[in-house]
Amino acid sequence: MQTTAKTSRKYLATPIFGVLMGVVYLVALSVAGNPVSGVLAFAVMVAFSGGLLLARRRSETVRGLLDHRDERISAIDLRATAVTALVMIAVVLVAFVVEIARGQSGWPYSMIGAVGGVTYLAAVIVLRIRG
Amino acid sequence: MKGLSQADLAQRMDVSRQTINSIETGRYTPSLPLAIAIARFFGVTVEEIFHADHS
Repeated sequence: MQTTAKTSRKYLATPIFGVLMGVVYLVALSVAGNPVSGVLAFAVMVAFSGGLLLARRRSETVRGLLDHRDERISAIDLRATAVTALVMIAVVLVAFVVEIARGQSGWPYSMIGAVGGVTYLAAVIVLRIRG
Repeated sequence: MKGLSQADLAQRMDVSRQTINSIETGRYTPSLPLAIAIARFFGVTVEEIFHADHS
């Protein structure tokens, strides 16, 4: 029973995070004086989260991505995340070079790249220490 | 095992049916804990089910 309860909470984490991000968008856009866009952004995030829960019923892949119980799907998730990170790094580097070639400071791409680099080094160190 | 579907084994191993299918077709190499669990389920050793292919 306890395992089932833990699993239930686990697969709800991503949809709940999606809804919470929708609330953050709603508040941020309302503060910026654009509440209509805020409501729209919130609705999109709620629809996305609901779509995930519906897809979970039909797709083993979505189910695995949400509850992380299947080691193969978890490995696919990890590799997909790595590919995504590589593409993001490439985009940031290209954008940084284009910005400095235009005579700009390279902000904010320089900061994003620095955060990525420091995060990678810290992750390697921590994971190396943990074995 | 006769009468045992991929879905049945997947449920017993707490993985997806796709994962069992991928293991059967050699497209995915299971972790050591999963390999041991599968071997124990069938009452054989890991070496009897999984083969290291260095070719």
